[in-house]
Amino acid sequence: MSFEDEVDAIEADTILGGEPFFSRAGGKIFIIWLVFTVIGVLIGFYAPHHLLPTLLSPEGGDVWATIVFFTVLAAPVAAFVYALAFYSLIAWRHKGNQDEPPPDAAPQRGNGPMTVLWLGVSTLLVVVLLFWGITVWSAQQISHPNTLQVNVTGQQWIWSYSYPGTGVSTHTLDLPLNRPVQFNVTSEDVTHGFWPAALGVQVDANPGVVTVIRSTPNKLGNFTVQCSQLCGLYHAFMNTKAAVVTPQQFASWLQSQGATPSAANTEAGTTPTAGTTTAMASS
Amino acid sequence: MTDNEPEGGASAASPARAPKAKPVGVIVTFVVALVAIGGVAAFFMSQTYTSPNYPSGLQVATSLGTAVVNGQSMPHVALQFQTYPDSTGTVDGKPVHASGNPSWPAYGFTNEFQVPAHSLVTVTVHQFDSGGSLNNPFFSKVAGTVGGTATVTDPSGKSQTITQWDPNNIGHTFTMRGAPGFDPGFFLNVPLPTNSNFPTNSTNQDAGQSYTVTFSFISGGKGIYAWNCEYPCGSMVASFGGVMGAYGFMSGFVHVV
Repeated sequence: MSFEDEVDAIEADTILGGEPFFSRAGGKIFIIWLVFTVIGVLIGFYAPHHLLPTLLSPEGGDVWATIVFFTVLAAPVAAFVYALAFYSLIAWRHKGNQDEPPPDAAPQRGNGPMTVLWLGVSTLLVVVLLFWGITVWSAQQISHPNTLQVNVTGQQWIWSYSYPGTGVSTHTLDLPLNRPVQFNVTSEDVTHGFWPAALGVQVDANPGVVTVIRSTPNKLGNFTVQCSQLCGLYHAFMNTKAAVVTPQQFASWLQSQGATPSAANTEAGTTPTAGTTTAMASS
Repeated sequence: MTDNEPEGGASAASPARAPKAKPVGVIVTFVVALVAIGGVAAFFMSQTYTSPNYPSGLQVATSLGTAVVNGQSMPHVALQFQTYPDSTGTVDGKPVHASGNPSWPAYGFTNEFQVPAHSLVTVTVHQFDSGGSLNNPFFSKVAGTVGGTATVTDPSGKSQTITQWDPNNIGHTFTMRGAPGFDPGFFLNVPLPTNSNFPTNSTNQDAGQSYTVTFSFISGGKGIYAWNCEYPCGSMVASFGGVMGAYGFMSGFVHVV
């Protein structure tokens, strides 16, 4: 078959008329796109459940929803690219003389409606994602009354925490349940990344600068604080044990670290309660 | 019929159809690529962390029998090391570091230690180096030791039990934590004191005065634990460059087996 006959055959396969839609290239590409889209959407819905840690705050829930939303929106776009490439590799390979490359095809002319369509859809998608992201981010910038202040210092290769007003400084992070927390983060040397993934927040720790991030833990549990910025030899070891505990446990823990009872209860947001014997979630 | 002729031949009513594609090569390439990517990913995910080879070798803790801590009997072992001001120096002719660097201090004679799991480890450190002020006073506190204390014997021979040292007179620290997956809750920090009279260099590294610091801790589960010094005695950014950022001088690993 000559190259011209080959092109004619492909065009006959794709233009309107002749074979039924799903027997022609467009239909087959549509089927492949549909399959890839379903796979992508399923990944978007189920992968976060297996890849993300147990989330302990509403900010974490926002992150979860964002991942799902962005993945589901991106799935059909990516699927179209993959379907087209996959089908092209399989069905439209050059089958003529393998010793000579095929001549250039006829120049393609622009298609106004198609250009408007893909530009419009792309713009709409980007605007939607921008609005979503700004909304989620803005919610984390709101300051609440009775916020617990925690000063976080990154230093190669340890995180240390201090609770202003209590005189307590530790290498573990304990937080009371259902109380807003503001992390004031800095570094003593290079840039680190303060990343308590279970709280759904992350902020860089920069030397000489205090960066702020907020969260309100609303579930009890243990989690890990990691460093998310490559910071040297032992970056992979720069993680901290952390926990969300009841206010009473938090007050007891502060006292065990050397805070006065009044300061501990003030920072825990509680009044002294007799007879509290719940086991600590952290060491 | 040749391979390039359409099956069934062309007719006047319908254009010639392209011969059926033979995508075997493409599919094979695709599958091979998937397998290769999956194999590489599986390989890296299966790797556990092992510290790089250190030329000065591994110090295996010395057995001291058993000990009872908080009513629990466990093996008791000992480690001893020194902090020297000059990594190119010697002790009785023996280099304190396998590949010393001028003007760099070192923990000698090795930075790699091995201790048994869930054991009482008693550490004795002879601190010969000068120092200064910590940039984070958090590391002047003793943490993670048995009793939360350490014993410090100064150059005059006077001993005292401490929970914290003056953050402005720190020579080095021994700060240790577990690798991800290996007891992330483990944390140990002991300040190693100095004073303004300490020399910065000595031909025989053991000849000068020293602080002797003794502490005990209970080792965690099996795995790799990283330790490093938190007193910035290097160069560049916040003095954490140079010797602080080079493997084998102010940092190392404890292998818990």
